[in-house]
Amino acid sequence: MSGPLLPAARCHAVRVRWDRSPNSAALSVLSGLSALSGLWTEDVPAPAADPPAERRRAAELARPADGLRSVLLRYADGPCDLILVAPRDQWDRTALARLAAGESPGPGTGHPAAGTAAFAPAPAWGLGDDGPTVPHLFSLDEGGDEAGWLAALAVTLRRYDPETSPVIGTDHGSFTVPEARTLGELKHAAADGPALVGLLFDEAEVPGAYVPCLAPPFPLTVAVFRDTDGWRLRCDHVSGHVSTEIAAQFTRHLVRVHQQLLDSPGTLVDDVDLMDETELERVAALGRPPRPLVTTPVSMPEAFTRIVAATPDRIAVTDGRAGLTYRELDERAAQLATGLRARGVGDGDRVGVCLERTAELVVTLLAVLKAGATYVPVDPAYPADRIAHTARDAGLSVMITRLPEFPEVAGCVPVTPDEVLHVDERLGVDEVPGVLDTASRPGDAPVLPTAVAPTAVAPTAVAPTAVGPTAVGPDTAAYVIYTSGSTGRPKGVEVPHRNVIALVDATRDAYGFGPDDVWTWFHSSAFDFSVWEIWGCLLTGGRLVVVPYFVSREPDRFRDLLVSEKITVLSQTPSAFAQLLDVDHSEVGVRLVVFGGEPLDARMLLPWFDRHPESVCRMVNMFGITETTVHVTEQTLTRGLALAATRSVGHPLPGWHLYVTDPAGRLLPPGVAGEVCVGGAGVALGYLGQEELTARRFVPDPFTGGTMYRSGDLGRLRPDGRLEHLGRIDSQVKIRGFRIELDEIRAVLLEDPDVRTAAVVIHRDDPADAATARINAYVVLSGGAPDTVRKRAAGVLPDYMLPTTVTALDALPLTPNGKLDPSRLPPPTAPRSSAHDAAPLTADTHADADTDLTERLREIWSEVLGVPVGLDDDFFELGGNSLFAVRIGAALRAHGLPSLRLRELYRHPTIRDTARELAASAT
Amino acid sequence: MRLHGKSVLVTGAARGLGRATALACAAEGADLTLLDICADLPGVPYPLGSPGQLEHTAALCREAGAAVLTTVADIRDLRAVREAVPRAEDRFGRIDVAVNNPGIAAPSGKPVHEIGEEEWSLMIDVDLSGAWRVIREVGKAMSARRTGSIVNVASTAGLVGYRHFAGYVAAKHAVVGLTKAAALDYAPTKVRVNAVCPGSVRDDAQAEGRMLAEIARALDVPVHEHEKTFVEAQPMNALIEPEDVAAAVVFLASDESRQITGSVLTVDGGFSIR
Repeated sequence: MSGPLLPAARCHAVRVRWDRSPNSAALSVLSGLSALSGLWTEDVPAPAADPPAERRRAAELARPADGLRSVLLRYADGPCDLILVAPRDQWDRTALARLAAGESPGPGTGHPAAGTAAFAPAPAWGLGDDGPTVPHLFSLDEGGDEAGWLAALAVTLRRYDPETSPVIGTDHGSFTVPEARTLGELKHAAADGPALVGLLFDEAEVPGAYVPCLAPPFPLTVAVFRDTDGWRLRCDHVSGHVSTEIAAQFTRHLVRVHQQLLDSPGTLVDDVDLMDETELERVAALGRPPRPLVTTPVSMPEAFTRIVAATPDRIAVTDGRAGLTYRELDERAAQLATGLRARGVGDGDRVGVCLERTAELVVTLLAVLKAGATYVPVDPAYPADRIAHTARDAGLSVMITRLPEFPEVAGCVPVTPDEVLHVDERLGVDEVPGVLDTASRPGDAPVLPTAVAPTAVAPTAVAPTAVGPTAVGPDTAAYVIYTSGSTGRPKGVEVPHRNVIALVDATRDAYGFGPDDVWTWFHSSAFDFSVWEIWGCLLTGGRLVVVPYFVSREPDRFRDLLVSEKITVLSQTPSAFAQLLDVDHSEVGVRLVVFGGEPLDARMLLPWFDRHPESVCRMVNMFGITETTVHVTEQTLTRGLALAATRSVGHPLPGWHLYVTDPAGRLLPPGVAGEVCVGGAGVALGYLGQEELTARRFVPDPFTGGTMYRSGDLGRLRPDGRLEHLGRIDSQVKIRGFRIELDEIRAVLLEDPDVRTAAVVIHRDDPADAATARINAYVVLSGGAPDTVRKRAAGVLPDYMLPTTVTALDALPLTPNGKLDPSRLPPPTAPRSSAHDAAPLTADTHADADTDLTERLREIWSEVLGVPVGLDDDFFELGGNSLFAVRIGAALRAHGLPSLRLRELYRHPTIRDTARELAASAT
Repeated sequence: MRLHGKSVLVTGAARGLGRATALACAAEGADLTLLDICADLPGVPYPLGSPGQLEHTAALCREAGAAVLTTVADIRDLRAVREAVPRAEDRFGRIDVAVNNPGIAAPSGKPVHEIGEEEWSLMIDVDLSGAWRVIREVGKAMSARRTGSIVNVASTAGLVGYRHFAGYVAAKHAVVGLTKAAALDYAPTKVRVNAVCPGSVRDDAQAEGRMLAEIARALDVPVHEHEKTFVEAQPMNALIEPEDVAAAVVFLASDESRQITGSVLTVDGGFSIR
């Protein structure tokens, strides 16, 4: 529909009704007209009020004309309609008025034709859908004047899109309306540029029913005119630009703004309300979930105890070959909790937990909760200063960890789980078994846990029943998770027990979670997606399978684990899932995949749907925020939605609700992008120790009286209440004055069939100098070349949005949380010289230097790392990371060499050691 | 409503395939310009469409909800066509679809060397040149608007030979050729030209068709015998109904066939397969 204007765009039509056949007074009028341009007479074999007659009228009113065309429709029951259609520039209302009064029409005076420039581009808020085009008709009390309507249009348009200066087309040129303080001070001025919205204003009264244009001359055409029914406003829209719902809504808001302009021109422009109370209520209700939440607030240990009572002997946690039943998990956690209490941990205290992802960690987290305390998870892989920051910021006095070198933090005592367990007999620590034999030993690199002997817990340990009753209720914080955010130091989010219980209650029945489910625990405990994995599983009686770090980083091993453990519920970030899609996944038998943590490009799921139809495996995208307890919305994805590359993240979960607001906190109507605010059962208590920041982001919910969280995420509601997530508000950047949407660039790259995943980042050669900013794109290709990708993107993106570089990678680097890690993206590919003239870091003096395997390894390493490599150069010192390690593994496979496990590379980070290892494994 | 809002011109619209096509288009939401000679032609040994038949077609279309313009014109006369087409364009704003459905089956029934020059010229003038004149007049405006569909009703006689029908067979073969050539001419402007080749169509009482009867008469065989011969010659063992042909025309007229041009669609129960 966005092509050139139809001839009908330039036509008006009017209908005048006669009660009976015009053989009396009207006939003379008609004969005069007939002499002017001919009169077509049609007998309609149906009564005037019947649908066929209505269809015939509509057809005649919509039929374009080069000159004046008049048609007389004679209905079967007597009445007649005279329908006149004419191009706007030949239109003469004075003549029409005389016609209606029974006089002969005189010569027309005419209007200049509107410019027929190309349509303005479709606005994002229009939600254009190529659906039906339905004109919207309003009756107005007052018509006002053209200047008033221009001002009202400008105010409404700025509310819909504050970034774009409004240009309004009319049939006598285009106008803009500069900003002013009050409505009355708004004055229009001539403007250039394509007009999205057009205004056709005429105050001459037209007889009969009037159609101001047969097809919209502008994507959104607002006509204000008078016919026999009084002042009317009619809005015609091009459905590819603006959907029927949005057009109706826009018109309603325009009329309301115009009324405010007439009633109180002194109103500040900023104070104008687009919506009345009823509509505000309706829009607020749009962001509420379709189902109510049924939940009983209890503490997490209480909820867990019920599961233990129901299924004490089912396996709760699987870690390697070891397993813990619910009863065992409960008992061990109780013992550890007693130890914590004995160490002085009291209700509401915060306890740091810095352990590898093992069954021991689950026991420890549960123990902290059982002790009435709040757990503060810290990833042992984090840099020391971040660990220290967390310990200090959370005011931790106890940190349960097996890190051999825990950073020094005043007042924070690092203890091992064993030390906690045997607090009463400190001297015997080394002699008795730990909380679990599965735990890694200090000093070891992380390894797969060995078999656990559940009976090995020493009888000398404190009795499970010794944990005293705690006064902790559902409103106490269960955990504090630190989020980095885009600026500043990480901040701790305090989430109470009741939120986690609500999350489980909101999803249990809808997704059928129960004892037969097997969940993966893939994500770091410091990433709140793990809250969903751990407690979603354990509070519904499922079996939680620990995914060790190295397995989580190697897609084929992870796939093997999914198959061998018969996983049913898989939670993934889209980036991590993309890696799983790269390996053969046809044997994977999961029934539910839940996405979270990152925006999802629905198209990437198509290869998955090929092997796993929707009827077998449900795919659900959940948009979520740490501050609102993991998830907010749910969108079940279908092949159809994936093909349509939906940006919808769906409706809120039962108990959660959301609003989209403008910077002033006002509710925005559907279609208009603004900040996503989340209220309801998931809202956290706040930021630990940051009252000011908490007060700024956790604000009163104007509709429910509770607290809502201002997310800093950009989104828009669709008229059906589903949310479109548009990225972070602060991810909008400006380059050379242009507003750049990185997500938009990424979306264009992903449209390329060769591009599997993509990341777009802004790079400044000189961080202080905005002029050095450029856009770098990174893509994972399934074919083709980066040059071709860039060339294709150039056909879609404006110059200022075209990435300066496009670099192909084998995989995008991920953070420990499984999200894209921009800091580990390599420098963009520049034209590189083929000669490496730098010397290797170490000299090759060994006799075995020229063996075939070693030489080929060296070629691969040099190629991947981009530097010459000596036999004893350390992989990590050369800038190696897990991404390069994966690429080296891929290159080895491509060359038909024995495969190299990531873990082995980490243990033997030189070519010489690797070669030895490979040679040994080959024999 | 596959032709909603489209303006369709049908020639030879007073009866037979023309009427059936007009009605099918009306049922799909089209508005119609119905053109017919509404007079007998010297040299054609049977009566052609009448004004009453044309009005009846129009009335049926109006009942189906269409706006209808009737035009009496002889398509052998270029000037008449040049007057009729702008009238339709005035009334409906444009012509989206032109269905060329002129056709006389006789004078026929003799070997080539017995055909007189006037008889030959008359057959070519109506069955072939009549279609060309309409294309000539509607093609320019369609090209300018970069949209339009022209459907030429040819015949299986445009694909194979029939004994003692040299003039008719030559004209219909030429219509197929005209279709392909015009399709190429207009392809750059998105105007499509296609042909429909009906087999033996029943002389439906409602459509008032008489083509089959006239062919039988030209061959001097009883109608029922002639019908029987054709039923046996059509693998699907049935005569074609007028609506079957109209359905093919509607498809080629509608946007459903927007990538189809220069094609020849047979509606012959399999007659031309072997």
